[in-house]
Amino acid sequence: MKKVTVLLLILMTVVSFAKVKIQFWHAMGGWRIEVIQNMVNEFMKLNPEVEVEVQYVGSYEEILAKTVAAVQAGTPPHVVQLNEISTQKMVDSGVIVPVQDLIDKDPSFDVGLFLPQVLNYYRIGGKLYSMPWNSSTPLLYYNKTLFREVGLDPDNPPKTYTELIDACRKLMKKDDKGNVIRTGITWPLYAWFFEEYMALQNQALVDNNNGRTAKATKVVFNNQAALNFLNLWNTLTKEGLMINTKRADWTAARQLFISQTVGMLISSTSDVALLITESTKQGFELGTAFLPLPDGAARGGVVIGGGSLWIIKQKNQAEIEAAWKLVKYLAEPGPQITWHQATGYFPIRVDAIQKLQVQGYYKDNVHHLTAILQLLTSVQNYNTNGAIIGAFPEVRDAIETAVEKMISGVLTPKQALDEAEKNANKAIKEYF
Amino acid sequence: MRRKFLPYLLLIPTYLVIVIFIYLPAYDSFYSSFFKVSVFGNRKIFVGFQNYLSLFKDKDYLGAVSFTLLYTATTVVLSIFLSFFLALLLDQKVPGSRIYRTLIFAPYAVSHAVAGALWGFLLNPVVGHVNYLMRIFFGIQTQWLTTRPFAAYSLIFASIWKTLPFNIIFYLAALQSISSDVIEASIIDGANSWTRVWKILFPLVSPITFYLVIMSIISSTFQSFAIIDVMTKGGPGGYTTNMIYKLFMDGFRFQKTGLASAENVVLFAAMMIVTIIYFVYGQRRVHYQ
Repeated sequence: MKKVTVLLLILMTVVSFAKVKIQFWHAMGGWRIEVIQNMVNEFMKLNPEVEVEVQYVGSYEEILAKTVAAVQAGTPPHVVQLNEISTQKMVDSGVIVPVQDLIDKDPSFDVGLFLPQVLNYYRIGGKLYSMPWNSSTPLLYYNKTLFREVGLDPDNPPKTYTELIDACRKLMKKDDKGNVIRTGITWPLYAWFFEEYMALQNQALVDNNNGRTAKATKVVFNNQAALNFLNLWNTLTKEGLMINTKRADWTAARQLFISQTVGMLISSTSDVALLITESTKQGFELGTAFLPLPDGAARGGVVIGGGSLWIIKQKNQAEIEAAWKLVKYLAEPGPQITWHQATGYFPIRVDAIQKLQVQGYYKDNVHHLTAILQLLTSVQNYNTNGAIIGAFPEVRDAIETAVEKMISGVLTPKQALDEAEKNANKAIKEYF
Repeated sequence: MRRKFLPYLLLIPTYLVIVIFIYLPAYDSFYSSFFKVSVFGNRKIFVGFQNYLSLFKDKDYLGAVSFTLLYTATTVVLSIFLSFFLALLLDQKVPGSRIYRTLIFAPYAVSHAVAGALWGFLLNPVVGHVNYLMRIFFGIQTQWLTTRPFAAYSLIFASIWKTLPFNIIFYLAALQSISSDVIEASIIDGANSWTRVWKILFPLVSPITFYLVIMSIISSTFQSFAIIDVMTKGGPGGYTTNMIYKLFMDGFRFQKTGLASAENVVLFAAMMIVTIIYFVYGQRRVHYQ
C-alpha cells in the first residue's frame, strides 16, 4: 500500500511538472519583440503548466510560407499571427481550429466586449475564425513645425484632396540649383491604402458584398472612387510633391517623414508610438488627423488592417487548450492596453478603451485617440468591413504593379486601373 | 567481390545526401508541376500541361524571361571582360599590388543580401551617398531603385560589383600560371600589347573563361534573388522581376505550388540547355594547356 502511494506521488509530481509546450509565431519586429516576450512571460507566470516558445519569424508573408511548410512536415506551430488578408485563405485551408468553436465551449470568455468594427472584419458568416489581435488603420501624420514654417495652419490639417495638394505645394522647398530638398507627402507603395480609399468613399473592393455574402468572383474597383485616388497619387508624383518608396517599404516612408524630408505621411496607426518618440528626438511637433477625402465625397470609413491570431490543428488536444489559453490571455484588457500603449495598435475591446479613458490616458495621448476616433466614426457596412478574398496577396500585387507602372509614366491612372482589374480578376479566378 | 562492395558502401553517405536534398525535391517539383495544388498542399488536381501553358501565355512571365536574358547576358559579359581587364592590371608588378588585390576581393566576402542592402542604402534617393554626390557635382537627382530604366542599371551594377572579385581571383591565378617564356617570345616577335592580350593571354586563359561563364550564368540566374528582393522587389511594375524572383513570388508569396514547380522545371531545362551547349561547343574552342 505504502509503495503504491509513493509511486502515485511520484507519478503525480512527474505529471504536474510535465508542461504543455506550445509555439507562438509572430511578425512584430524591432522593439515589439520584447514587448510580446514580456506579455507571454506574464502569461506563463499565471499558467505555469504551459510553456510558450515565442518566435519572431519575419514578415506576415514569411510566417504564412513557414506555416505551410511546417504543416506539411507534420510539425505545425500552435499559434500564428497572420495579416488580415490571409483570412479567407486560412478559413479555406482546413488546418485551423476556428476560435469560435473554442469560444462556444468556454463560458469565461465574452466576445461581446470586442469592438464591433473589429469583429465585423474577422467574422465571416457570423463565425469568428481567428482572434483579432493587432488592429490598425491608416492615419495622416503631419509635421506641425513645418506647417507653421510655411504658413499653413498647424491645427487645420488638410481634409480634402485639394487642400492636400495645396499643402504639399507649400511644403515643397528647392535649393538654388532647383533640386527638391523637401516636399509634401509620402506613403508606402502598398495596396492597403488603395483599399482604404475605396472604403473611405463607401465603395466595395470585390463583388458579393465584398466577398462577405458569398465568395468573391471579381473585383469591382474600376470606378470613379478608385480613379480619384490614383489621380491624386499620379498628380502628386508628377509634380514632385510626393516621394514614392519601394513596394511595401514602410521604413523608408517613416524615415522620409522623421528626417523632415516630407511634411506629411500616411501610415498605419501602429506607428504612433514610434513617431511620437522620433519626432521628439528630431525636435518637431507631431500632428495626426483623419485621412483627407476626395472633394465632395461622402465619408464611408476606414477598414481595419493588421493581424489576428490563428490556432492550428494539433494531434494533442491539450496543446490546443493551451494555445486557446494563450490567445485568450493576449486578448484580455491588460495585455491589450500594454500593446496599445507600446505600439499604437488599437485596444480591440471596449472595456480596455473605457479603462484608459477613465484614467485620462487619452487626454495626454491625443494621437492614440485620433486613431481610435477615426475607426469609431466609420460607417459600418460591407464596404467598410473590408473585403474577404482568397487570392488577396495577388490582388494587392496586381494593384501595386499597376501603380508602379503609373508612377513611372508607363500607364495613365485609368489604364493602371484597367490592368489592375484584369490581373486581379485572373488571380481570383485561379485561386484554389 | 569484397573489393567491389567497399567503394559503393563509402559512396552511400554522399549519395544519400544528394538523393534526399537534390533528386527527391527535383522529382517532387517535376511531379507537382502537373497539378494544381492548394495552399496547404492538402488538395491536388491533375491538370496536365496546364501550368506550362498558362506560364507561356502569361505576359508577366514572358517579361520575366526576357529580363532574365537581358540581366544575365549583361552581367556575365561585362563581369567577364571587366574582371579580365582588372586582373591584367593587378598582375602588374607595381608596389602595393597585394593591397589592391585584398581590397578588390572584399565584396566577395559579403553575402548577396548584404550587398543588396548596401547598394540600397547608397542608392537611396534621399539619404544615399550616390545621390548626394550626384547633386553636388552634376546637380541631378535620380530615383535609382524605383524608376525605369535605372532600377535595372542599379541591379546590374550591384551584381557585377558582387561577382567581379570571384572572377578576378581566377583570372589572376590563371595569368600568373602563364609561363614568362611565352610572353617574352611574343615581345621578341614584335607583338604589341593589344595583340599580346587578345591573341595570346586571353586564349591561354580560355579554360578559366569557360568555367567563369558557366559559374556567372548560374549565379546571376539563381543567386540574384537576394539582391533583387532587397534592392527593387522586382519593381517598378515587375520591370526587374527575373525568373527566379517570379518563382519565389508565385511559390512562397502566392502559394501556387503547381505553377511555381512548372517555373522550376522551365529553369531547370534552360540551365540544362546552357550547360550542354557550352560543353559541346565551348570545349572545342577552349585551349587546354
